[in-house]
Amino acid sequence: MKNKHQGWGWMLAVDFFFAGMGGGMLVIAGIVELFIGEGRTSLVGNLLGPVFMCIGCIFLVFELGRPFQSWRVFMNPKAILTAGAWIMSVAIVVGLAYASFGLNPAWFGMEKLFWQDWNAARKFLSAVGLLTGLVVATYPGVLLSRHKGRPFWVGPGMITLFLLSSIVTGVAAQFLSGLLLPPVAFPGVMQALPALAGGLLFFQLVIWIGYIWVKRTGGTEAEAASAQRWIDGDISASFKSIVMLLGTIAPLILLLQSSLIAQAVGALLVLLGGVSIRCLVVRAGSDRTWLPGEQKYKNRLPFGDEAFLKAWNK
Amino acid sequence: MSKNIDLEQEGIEVKKSACYFCHQNCGVLAYVKDGKVLDIEGDPEFPTNQGGLCCRGNIALDHLDHPARINYPLKRVGKRGEGKWEQIPWDQAIQEIGAKLSKIRDDFGAEAVATAGGTQRTDDWARRRFMNQFGSPNGFHNSHLCWIPTFMVETAIYGWCPFELDMGNSRCLVLWGQNPGAAGMPEMHHITDFQAKGMKVIVIDPRFSETAAKADLWLPLRPGSDLALALAWINVIIYDGLFDQEFVANSCEGFGELADHVEEFTPEWAAPLTWLTPEQIRESAYMYAMNKPGNIQWGTSVDQIGKPAGSTMHARAILRAITGNLDVPGADLLTGPSPDFITDEEMEANDQLQDIQKTKQIGSDRFKLVTWPGYSRIAEETRKVWGKAPTAEWMCEAHPPSVFRAILTEKPYPVKALLVNATNPINSYGETKLVMEALQAVDFMITCDYWMTPTASLSDYVLPIAGALERPTITSTYGCSDFLLASQRAIQPMYERRNDYNFWRDLGLAVGQQGQWPWETVEDAYYHRIAPLGYDVSSYDEFVDRYRFHFPEREYSKYERQGFATPSGKVELYSTVLKDLGYPPLPPYIGPTENEVDHPVLAKEFPLVLTTGGGFMPYHHSEHFQIKDLRFLRHEPYMDINPATAAELFIEEGDWVWIETKRGRIKQKANLTEGIHPRVIYTQRGWWYPEREINLPELGGCLESNANILTSSADEDCDPYSGAWANRGLLCRVCKVEASDLKEEN
Amino acid sequence: MARYAMVLDTRRCIGCHSCTVACKVHNELPVDMIYNSVTTIGPTGIYPNLHMVNLPLLCMHCANPPCVDGCPTCASQKREDGVVFIEDKKCVGCLACVMACPYGARVPNHETGAVQKCDFCKDRLEVGKKPHCVNTCHQKARIFGDLDDETSDVYKLVHGENPARLLGELNTEPYVFYIY
Repeated sequence: MKNKHQGWGWMLAVDFFFAGMGGGMLVIAGIVELFIGEGRTSLVGNLLGPVFMCIGCIFLVFELGRPFQSWRVFMNPKAILTAGAWIMSVAIVVGLAYASFGLNPAWFGMEKLFWQDWNAARKFLSAVGLLTGLVVATYPGVLLSRHKGRPFWVGPGMITLFLLSSIVTGVAAQFLSGLLLPPVAFPGVMQALPALAGGLLFFQLVIWIGYIWVKRTGGTEAEAASAQRWIDGDISASFKSIVMLLGTIAPLILLLQSSLIAQAVGALLVLLGGVSIRCLVVRAGSDRTWLPGEQKYKNRLPFGDEAFLKAWNK
Repeated sequence: MSKNIDLEQEGIEVKKSACYFCHQNCGVLAYVKDGKVLDIEGDPEFPTNQGGLCCRGNIALDHLDHPARINYPLKRVGKRGEGKWEQIPWDQAIQEIGAKLSKIRDDFGAEAVATAGGTQRTDDWARRRFMNQFGSPNGFHNSHLCWIPTFMVETAIYGWCPFELDMGNSRCLVLWGQNPGAAGMPEMHHITDFQAKGMKVIVIDPRFSETAAKADLWLPLRPGSDLALALAWINVIIYDGLFDQEFVANSCEGFGELADHVEEFTPEWAAPLTWLTPEQIRESAYMYAMNKPGNIQWGTSVDQIGKPAGSTMHARAILRAITGNLDVPGADLLTGPSPDFITDEEMEANDQLQDIQKTKQIGSDRFKLVTWPGYSRIAEETRKVWGKAPTAEWMCEAHPPSVFRAILTEKPYPVKALLVNATNPINSYGETKLVMEALQAVDFMITCDYWMTPTASLSDYVLPIAGALERPTITSTYGCSDFLLASQRAIQPMYERRNDYNFWRDLGLAVGQQGQWPWETVEDAYYHRIAPLGYDVSSYDEFVDRYRFHFPEREYSKYERQGFATPSGKVELYSTVLKDLGYPPLPPYIGPTENEVDHPVLAKEFPLVLTTGGGFMPYHHSEHFQIKDLRFLRHEPYMDINPATAAELFIEEGDWVWIETKRGRIKQKANLTEGIHPRVIYTQRGWWYPEREINLPELGGCLESNANILTSSADEDCDPYSGAWANRGLLCRVCKVEASDLKEEN
Repeated sequence: MARYAMVLDTRRCIGCHSCTVACKVHNELPVDMIYNSVTTIGPTGIYPNLHMVNLPLLCMHCANPPCVDGCPTCASQKREDGVVFIEDKKCVGCLACVMACPYGARVPNHETGAVQKCDFCKDRLEVGKKPHCVNTCHQKARIFGDLDDETSDVYKLVHGENPARLLGELNTEPYVFYIY
């Protein structure tokens, strides 16, 4: 029925958001660890990365029609969802393990946690975290881009968009985490993150405009129609006001301010932009390339709340 | 997840049953175990449906035990229409009803009891048998809208109605106002088969219907203007020399008069009346006349055009005759009644109705063709040639709108009781407001039905009737064919449902008709009917099991042997029977019931032309709105409007729209389609909303989208021959339902 | 091994929806689930020069089914005889197949949480019967059979009438064919 979803809903979009953000945070942590120096990202950020991925998983499980059977999604090695599930599991474990290196032994009443000396392990974990985080950050885009029958998704453009959004939300989340609990090592990279996020936002702005323009003009009729929803259709208002204005342009400006408060607000808005763009992308995918006559047929079917549907129950 | 029923399991019996959701009666195989039907499917051996079943056929099991079915006799305990009922035993119901009817007969005469039917969804000979013995001539159906006037006009012209088309040998089929693509699936697949082999198909229909979409030629005429088209075809066929000279010379009377009569009815004359071009009219006339043998298939639409209906039927009958397309291979066949089995008419006990009572039949003073005056005249002729008469139930009935008026006005005399069986007059008879008033005014009303319909809700008693799978069925084209198809019941009626036959029998016995009902069950009666066929069977069920059909050997050109069943023994193009009854012997031109030429003032106020009454899937008449699997497909009523007209009226696809005639207005949703003339509106028929309260005042929303609010049954709008009222060719207007109106309604 | 296929002759289809109902009733689907809708294209053109086609839709039983590729649990499977079906107990209702199918042939069952679809009535095929939608079609517009059998009607139609496939450009290779 029209009012019950016949496809993916908002919970999957929220999963994409948390998983992507978590992945992005692992990527930042990994890069900083490997190429800049140890202890320069916040422990909170390092922990939240995998935790966010777990939260994403929870949303994913509740999106399922049969949540208690969710373990079965690990079963088809050829399916991209299965690959995603495995890699995200690895990323969560690795991410938590890596974060544990930043724990303060004093919290546990010890002088030292025994594994915190294993430097090679730490480097290895951060490298694996970086790679798997990158995959987690990208894979929703890969998943969607392979949908031949979903005109707004199909094509490699989605990969870039998801990767970008995951990284920018990851950066913003790492920045916010740093505000909550500053990194132990100085000089940190905290002060560089707002500018990085700003740059990525600008990049994202350009690519989104390009993506919609290409869909509108370059693809099939169905793709053009799907893009039209973003330009002046049912998605355009949310896209323009929430994603573009509040989630991209406003934080772009705020992040480039010197005030920490402005930057923090900017980073929060980045997260808002990140979750809302995913909701819109998932919603845009509800349009298939309609078969002839299909839309009219579906429009005439009941919504699901009609009185006759509730009558005459035995 | 395929259905988990093992049809190979032990103890399953396959019953040769029939679908009963329209009168095609498609063959159904029912898989029965321990008195329960486990599954059904179309019977591949059945000659008409050949294994196919339409939407309705498929829901038989849902229908059989639907939670809204009436399963026990109900007696009203509250006010009429209040919805308060007491469940009572059958015997009590029958005794009380019988006593009441006897009292009415004593006080007002037997004619004060009338009975309303729908279309053939019952054993109507039993109803007639009851009424004849009771002494009332006032039985009626919706039959005026469905073939019966056609049957009687054609029988007046050439002695029987050629409803049996020899399509296998035909080269051209004219579907005149018929849409088998939505209303006659078994016929449609034969048409498609023959069309693939080269048969031409002409569809005459204002709508680009399911069938029109497949036609070789589509004639989208103005609704109700069929007569102008038919007269112009006659003109072309005569004056272009396309007629069958030999047949006309040897077998027809009155050709000269006809030629003179139609001289002025040229295609150029008909073009502005029909909204077709002269070329379209000529091309189609040539296609029919030059592709012989050919068929004209009857469709209900001409029966439903009101005022010009009878004359149109006459003109259409003439077309068959002058092209020689009668009773020869590939043409329209005159089967006559069966000489072998006992026909419906022979079960009706018509001789038991006193002549004085026949004269009291309501409407027979004005509409003579399908009442006792015309029926007796025509039956006299058919008896001479065929030895039998047409079925009187159907062909000889009181005029329904006049009965409703008699209830209200007591003119010509009071009608005090109405027995409603297998119909919901509020939705299915013309001019709903009149019907509603009559049903609320009548002293005593009982309804036999499957459901608590709006009509049933206004009754004093409601009786539960056995439906498909619970009753045997003989299919013989309203009792008028020489063949029959026989089906058995899959199970005995569930709960306390009974066959309608048993209702009439029981009621008959309760009012003193002892000895007149020798057959205890329907099967007994059916066996009595088929016994003369001489099959070596000892019961009806055995006949179904072993033979199922009876098709006599086909004899063509029977008229060469026995003549036509008319006074002259020939085809009477110039009809003496019609003349004797006071009708024109040749078909005069009569404009559509409401039209811009004869009613210019009305046309200004109501500038569009309305057609309604056509069948559409998945419903039948006013039925099946309760079946969710069907309702899901089309859960709201839709009217057709051309996009250009809609744009002028600011109506968009899916808007609720008021459709209004001078009699009232209804609302349906707009379906914008190029498949209809910019000046024509089509509304769906039958709509009510059984999911709502079925009590007064809501009454299942039966006035909201009900097309019969718009139709006319005024005497002056009825066909003078038969009294058939007008569903089509009426003037209307439409406008968008404003949001505030919608709110108010809710 | 058979290779099942269906041919839909739109020249014969009148859009009566019998197949839809027969399928729902016999497969005991909840009221809101439809495996095989019939859409109507048109009337196209301008009155009175019109054209109308009814298009019966169902699972295309693709040779390259994106739904099977996308299923993370291996619930969606393709048999050797071409029948694409869902093993209900393995389905977690992730809807990946619903999203992946370009034909809208997969329907979530809100009562069970799983996804369901047309499986050519595979239980009937086992006992030599045809799918319900084929059986019920008055117009004989649905022709079902084994494409590997050169004597079958589907073989003759597929090789003789040059039928089309829906969304052929997606390379899903449907085994449901359309004659216009």
